[in-house]
Amino acid sequence: MTAAAPIATKHKIFSPARVTAIASNTLLELVRLKVFYFLLLFALLIIGSSFFTSKFTFQEQFQVLKDVSLGAMSIFTWLLGVLATAMLLPKDIEDRTLYTILAKPVPRFEYLLGKFLGVLLLLFVAISLMTGVFLVILYARQQDALANAARLVPAQALQEQLADIRAATFNKNLLPGIVIIYLKSALCAALTLLLSTFASSSIFTIIMSVIVYLIGHIQAIAREAYLASQTTTALTKAFLAIVALLIPDLNSLTLVDDIVVGNAISTVLFVKTASLGLTYIGIYFLVGYFVFSAKEL
Amino acid sequence: MSTPAISIQNLTKVYPIPFKREKVTAVQDLSLTVEAGQVYGLLGPNGSGKSTTMKIVLGLVTPTSGRTEIFGRDSNTVESREDVGFLPENPYFYKYLTGAETLDFYGKLCGLSRAKIRDRSKELLKLVGLENAADRRLGGYSKGMLQRIGLAQAMIQEPRLLVLDEPTAGVDPAGSREIRDLILDFKQRGITVLLCSHLLEQVQEICDRVGILDHGVLIREGVLGDLISIENQTEIILENAPPELLAQIREMIGKSSGRLVAEHRPQKTLERYFLDVTGPKQS
Ligand SMILES: Nc1ncnc2c1ncn2[C@@H]1O[C@H](COP(=O)(O)OP(=O)(O)O)[C@@H](O)[C@H]1O
Ligand SMILES: [Mg+2]
Repeated sequence: MTAAAPIATKHKIFSPARVTAIASNTLLELVRLKVFYFLLLFALLIIGSSFFTSKFTFQEQFQVLKDVSLGAMSIFTWLLGVLATAMLLPKDIEDRTLYTILAKPVPRFEYLLGKFLGVLLLLFVAISLMTGVFLVILYARQQDALANAARLVPAQALQEQLADIRAATFNKNLLPGIVIIYLKSALCAALTLLLSTFASSSIFTIIMSVIVYLIGHIQAIAREAYLASQTTTALTKAFLAIVALLIPDLNSLTLVDDIVVGNAISTVLFVKTASLGLTYIGIYFLVGYFVFSAKEL
Repeated sequence: MSTPAISIQNLTKVYPIPFKREKVTAVQDLSLTVEAGQVYGLLGPNGSGKSTTMKIVLGLVTPTSGRTEIFGRDSNTVESREDVGFLPENPYFYKYLTGAETLDFYGKLCGLSRAKIRDRSKELLKLVGLENAADRRLGGYSKGMLQRIGLAQAMIQEPRLLVLDEPTAGVDPAGSREIRDLILDFKQRGITVLLCSHLLEQVQEICDRVGILDHGVLIREGVLGDLISIENQTEIILENAPPELLAQIREMIGKSSGRLVAEHRPQKTLERYFLDVTGPKQS
């Protein structure tokens, strides 16, 4: 070891390896914080929900199971996205770990991207695990229903009944629905990341993120109510338009209701919903980067 | 002359205070140069702008005016950070990582190859005396161990410059001496060091040159020996001198134009005494 020439290779403007190092470190941090224990809660919830529906018809039972499972997936991924993201930057800043990272040849863009990708990975692992639990239970319940039907339903109606059961359990809408749940949680994480670039604490970030989430859900209803009334001024309209631009209508960013009642989801609807989510994720991240790059550390 | 390790020209930093009209001037028109190979001590009371100066040199904080360079590369550029290692004041690294994983992480950030990281990591863990703690999580490290893993992290890509912000703050005397020895070791290898510390005794032992900041202004600067030597005095320390010799010397002084100012037994420092009685250093 001598103090001769530096051994690092020539500096790259953008290095996927550095981003990967930060992203996997972020995921590791969250995993070692044992955030995955919430999965037990998820499994208990959807297994528990089955006990209360045994008197319903099988269509109703599967509807409730899907409703509870997809609803729980939405809430858990949202919570996970917001809570995990809100602590990342403030913690690194407070502990001065950020100094040690940015004192290495790491551009701020890569740092922020790495952190965000780490959260996206976490959400991906979380939703995959929940989907796994959900599908296993749905399959078990389907087999159960099929076996019951074979015992109880008279022979001439049996084929039809079995087909009905299959149709009521697995259909091709489930996957797009889950993808949209993922995108929505990623969007909320991107929003939280943006908020955390100028907020001074995790708590403030979390509260702001929750408020924006609520606004995102009620704004469409509020807008309709205002625009329908005659007295709405131009100023109010402009204000509503700005809010609508900053925060997407989160009600339209879900397909769960359609899936539960068994509506077909067209490719157009899926692509439209997904692009809306992706666009906002991109915008929130970039704005977050601009705030972060100018931030006095 | 070769490119200086650090060059700071007319640096001023003014922090706005949120929600107030007034501002804090953390550093005012500071110019200084740290030549390659030197150990430079930046001294000053709390709040005198030492940390701010270091953060600007590392590009973590943008200056209000003036410019700083590391080996001739502007601190605003990401490339300037290739050749420098930094240990901030009271750092916390990721608690959930082990010592080895920490070095691995920082090595990747520097773009080192897997094999290079493995070699460097082993070498540095040995150097800072954390071989046995390499697979333990940082959450269980003592303050002194954290500072040593911090030094190893700073050195991972073999930078030619080390910037250390109070590397011995909060560390016990034995740990503090270990860190001092490590800095001397780096100096021997030709690495330039910029450090600030409140332990003036240690600064005196290791620094070639010092600058003293007060309220953001550099009030004194120069070669350490020049700054603190007393020009017209000479110190002679004798071992096993018989009383007759001492008498002769006193007599000779009396005949000359010089004056005997003091005669006493040298004392070891309290630090040395403390280290002697608390036994051999461990871990
Ligand atoms: N981020 C900041 N915002 C506002 N003032 C700051 C900030 N950082 C440091 N200061 C102020 O700048 C001055 C110098 O601080 P610092 O460089 O940390 O001093 P030192 O390291 O010598 O103790 C202090 O008065 C401090 O309050
Ligand atoms: Mg300081």
